[in-house]
Amino acid sequence: MPSQMDEQDLKDRLNLIESMIAEGRRTTAHWSWLSVLWGVAYLAAMAWSAWGPNKVWAWPACVATALVVMAVALSGNRNKGHEKHPETTMGRAIGSLWMGVGISMVLLFPALGFSGRLGDVHVFIAVVSSFLGLANGACGLMLRWKAQFVCAALWWTTSVASLFGTENQAVIIFLVAIFLCLIVFGFYGMALEARERRQRGAVHA
Amino acid sequence: MPELPELNPVIHGKVRLALLSLLVGVDEAEFTWLRAKTGSTDGNLGAQLLKLEEAGYVAMEKRFVIRKPQTVYRITEHGRQALTEYVQALKRLLGSAIEA
Repeated sequence: MPSQMDEQDLKDRLNLIESMIAEGRRTTAHWSWLSVLWGVAYLAAMAWSAWGPNKVWAWPACVATALVVMAVALSGNRNKGHEKHPETTMGRAIGSLWMGVGISMVLLFPALGFSGRLGDVHVFIAVVSSFLGLANGACGLMLRWKAQFVCAALWWTTSVASLFGTENQAVIIFLVAIFLCLIVFGFYGMALEARERRQRGAVHA
Repeated sequence: MPELPELNPVIHGKVRLALLSLLVGVDEAEFTWLRAKTGSTDGNLGAQLLKLEEAGYVAMEKRFVIRKPQTVYRITEHGRQALTEYVQALKRLLGSAIEA
């Protein structure tokens, strides 16, 4: 009978409620690989635009390839029949934020490029870094994740620093930011996700 | 001495309590996700969810996603209220157990 429960049983019930609520709210979706993917795409685009042929196609081709890889990988995961993590308000907010930033970048930069108004490398780097700073900063604040907020601070620093000094210096700063904030941060996130997957099993209620 | 509160028997079952607690944190959840989180069998989980559904605490929806059937559950306002009241009753009981 519920009214005859002992103190430990009552505590167990409260603990069960608390752990299940936390379980539901926890973001188990794994997105860090996307950071690595985009880091590689950006580096490839930078390398192509520096040394490759048809430089004008470097960014459109690399961004389009990354978009295709992302779409194929995401639809592949969905078709594998893996249990899908339910949507939460937090997850939707973060997803919407990145989608909004992504759409803005995908529309703005090709338009600037093909209209011939993207002549200044400093401005290009400052705007890209600013967009990424915005998304990482908002995400870091929402998730209260210091590492992501540090990334945002690095992007904002890159954005400001790229406007001063020579073109080569701006490119070097941008390359360092891409390496640290997309590739290193992406691998760090993947390591955390892998650890979380190992630690978590089914919660037997 | 104040009267001790009764705990809602529909919510009191451990699996049903776990299910409502999981659903309170998400917009909606698939049957397979709930099964993984609770470690229940299909039959037991279905029976527990049916009890919650009959009590009006959860709502079920069947739909097709890429031609595959999907059963999703979400907590109702009534269910949210019942869980809140259950937690309050549990805390009062715990308080009285500590005082005793």
